[in-house]
Amino acid sequence: MDLKKLVASFVLIASLLIFSGPMLAHHGNVAYDEIHPITIAGTVTEVVWANPHVQIFLDVKDDKGKIVSWGIESQSPGILHRNGWNKSSIKQGDQITITLAPSKNGAPVGFSGGNTGKVVFTDGRVLRMNER
Amino acid sequence: MRIRLVRFRVASAVILTFSLAAFAQAGQQQTAAKTPAAPAPKRDLSGVWQYQGAGGAESFAAEKDIPPMTPWAKAKFDEEIPGYGSRARAGGNDPILQCDPIGFPRVMFMPTPIEFVNAPGRVLQFFEREHEWRPIWTDGRSLPTDVDPAWYGHAIGHWEGDYTLVVESSGFNDKSWLSPAGYPHTEDMRITERYQRVDHDTILYTLTVIDPKAYTKPIEGRHVTLKLRPHEEIEELPCVWSEENAFTKRIREPAAAKTTK
Repeated sequence: MDLKKLVASFVLIASLLIFSGPMLAHHGNVAYDEIHPITIAGTVTEVVWANPHVQIFLDVKDDKGKIVSWGIESQSPGILHRNGWNKSSIKQGDQITITLAPSKNGAPVGFSGGNTGKVVFTDGRVLRMNER
Repeated sequence: MRIRLVRFRVASAVILTFSLAAFAQAGQQQTAAKTPAAPAPKRDLSGVWQYQGAGGAESFAAEKDIPPMTPWAKAKFDEEIPGYGSRARAGGNDPILQCDPIGFPRVMFMPTPIEFVNAPGRVLQFFEREHEWRPIWTDGRSLPTDVDPAWYGHAIGHWEGDYTLVVESSGFNDKSWLSPAGYPHTEDMRITERYQRVDHDTILYTLTVIDPKAYTKPIEGRHVTLKLRPHEEIEELPCVWSEENAFTKRIREPAAAKTTK
């Protein structure tokens, strides 16, 4: 193997290690598939700003046009404050997309938090949920 | 001769250019790496600190690092239904689901900050998670031998040198889990912790759990760092049973139910 290929291989391996770290190391709640996060879009129906996790409830149209109600847990209010949220950051009626780890059993629930979770508004504003 | 001179000048220019570039980059890196941090204060851990870890089932120790359990502990462990880790399933009985105190050392491994406050004869730890607190007595007293078992036990601390606080604790009740994975402990549990302030912004934290009636060997907890967060303030976030219960019904139980796929 020549030097160029060796260097390229090293860079590839290093990149994989760096970028897989945050996803794999997070949370540890086996109910959610944190290896395969998804992004869904919908209309906010309710926000519960409380411990242990802030919850965002969202009406999402599935590919048949049927409305599915999702319940998504995020981080504690303290962690979200430190990410620039307050209890009015997301309101009933907001159109958002949200990246989350969906539950493994197919139920419309999931976890949006840590390094992979985020909420994006139609005007491009982004809310994150980093833990540290 | 002339060609050699030209080559020499070109080579010198190249070398000089690269040297200047390297010097500028080093200078930038030094500036970007912040001006030298203030030295760590002696015998003082006060401030708001954040554990650098993800929480979750293996925050305190990986499953593979838990020593063999005694028959008592194994029977208790088998009865527990955690919400995290390889044995997680629906209908959990984690004590914190009903807002029982998290207990120690579990409360240390949360992605929420801890404030250390110096008070006469003690260091107080305030945990944002569940609004809990714990005193570490530094007035030279010994661990009490005749006390009512407590959720956070009783802790005494002494300094090794000027930068390491060594804490011994005992007097725990047996109602809390060591971690979200459901590991039990007895009232005879003893814990030794070391808070080593390695620089102004960093504590290296280690702990050992000794509970021979539950584990055949001491448990070495993960070696983690705590980072100083000088601009943060701890929030009031107690565990509220009604909110915890609503969350369980609306999110936890649907997520943990048998597959609908």
